Amino acid sequence: MSIGGAPTQADFHEAISSRSDRWYSACLKITRNPEMAADAVQDALLNAWNKRHQFEKNSRLDTWIHSIAINAALNQIRRNRPGVFQPLESDVETSAEEPRQVLEDYELEDSLAGALARLSDVERVCFVLKHLEQWRVREICAELSLNEGRVKQAVFRAVKKLRISMQSLQDEKNER
Amino acid sequence: MKDDTDELIARHRENVHKAPPHLVQQWHDAIDDAAALERGRVAVRQRAWTPGSLFWGMAVTAALALGVAIGVFVSDDTTPNIVPTIAHNSAQHDVVPAAFSRGLQYHLRESRQQLSALDVDADRTMLVLQLIEQNRLFESAADKNNAPNLARVLRAFEPILLRLAATDIAPEDATALKAQLTFELNVMLTKLASEPSDEAHST
Repeated sequence: MSIGGAPTQADFHEAISSRSDRWYSACLKITRNPEMAADAVQDALLNAWNKRHQFEKNSRLDTWIHSIAINAALNQIRRNRPGVFQPLESDVETSAEEPRQVLEDYELEDSLAGALARLSDVERVCFVLKHLEQWRVREICAELSLNEGRVKQAVFRAVKKLRISMQSLQDEKNER
Repeated sequence: MKDDTDELIARHRENVHKAPPHLVQQWHDAIDDAAALERGRVAVRQRAWTPGSLFWGMAVTAALALGVAIGVFVSDDTTPNIVPTIAHNSAQHDVVPAAFSRGLQYHLRESRQQLSALDVDADRTMLVLQLIEQNRLFESAADKNNAPNLARVLRAFEPILLRLAATDIAPEDATALKAQLTFELNVMLTKLASEPSDEAHST
């Protein structure tokens, strides 16, 4: 780390080498789109570089970039799928069978990604932010402009659907 | 039930998708580019008021004036809409490697950002000249990647950039040129984002 605590070019390279898989993976879980995830990481890196003098020296650079990348991924979704987080007048539960317009963009590399891809955008993002990124419910509400009830409901539905997906995967495995 | 949920969350948390190596390289390059750009800006700012800069400033101005004069002389069309004619009418799409397309998009976004921050001050000329240099590199790379239409569009940016680099340009003309360039960069970025690229040659 350079004098004054601002991370150096070498610090950024080290963080990219050791942690970029994690950033990319988190962004991919949010966006379900490899290109959007890649752009989110790149935007985050450049933002972090430009604001590196604001970096708090007691923090970890990779964690800081990770949080910027999550926000960049959310911005990518907003930019590419406008209105995705707007509250619905009637909060109707989405079914797992409904057509998924962006599914074709996403290579389902494994069953876990497949299970996540079967959630609606709001359910998936709320689940990822709450359980994988460990955001507080009120932080998710503020970020997505949703009320607490909707966020909690989305997380609840997501867990329910994921549990069903996991169970059927387990059953398939046992049958083989 | 709680254990099930914890296990479910743990499995998702541990499930990490590896970033493709070409992306990791692109992120390393992005940091290097940003650092180089910053060093360039600092160097330009530091040498802006040295006695020698007057000579170089005059030399650059003379070269630019000559370039613009030649451009105006050889061109039948003196309206500033050179890029739109080419960018908007390029019906043939070049399929370029994805890595190149993404690199180019990054360059265009950076250019747009720099243009928006561009001020009417001493280092404007040097910054625009840097943009021209980078633009030429991408132009040449587009040619090498069998993307002649893309190369032609990139080439068409140069006369406008040269006009913007001129030190005697009126502020309102500079504003108009900046607006035109920003518009054209947006068009390019939209086209690149919507056009297919060759994923097979993306590494």
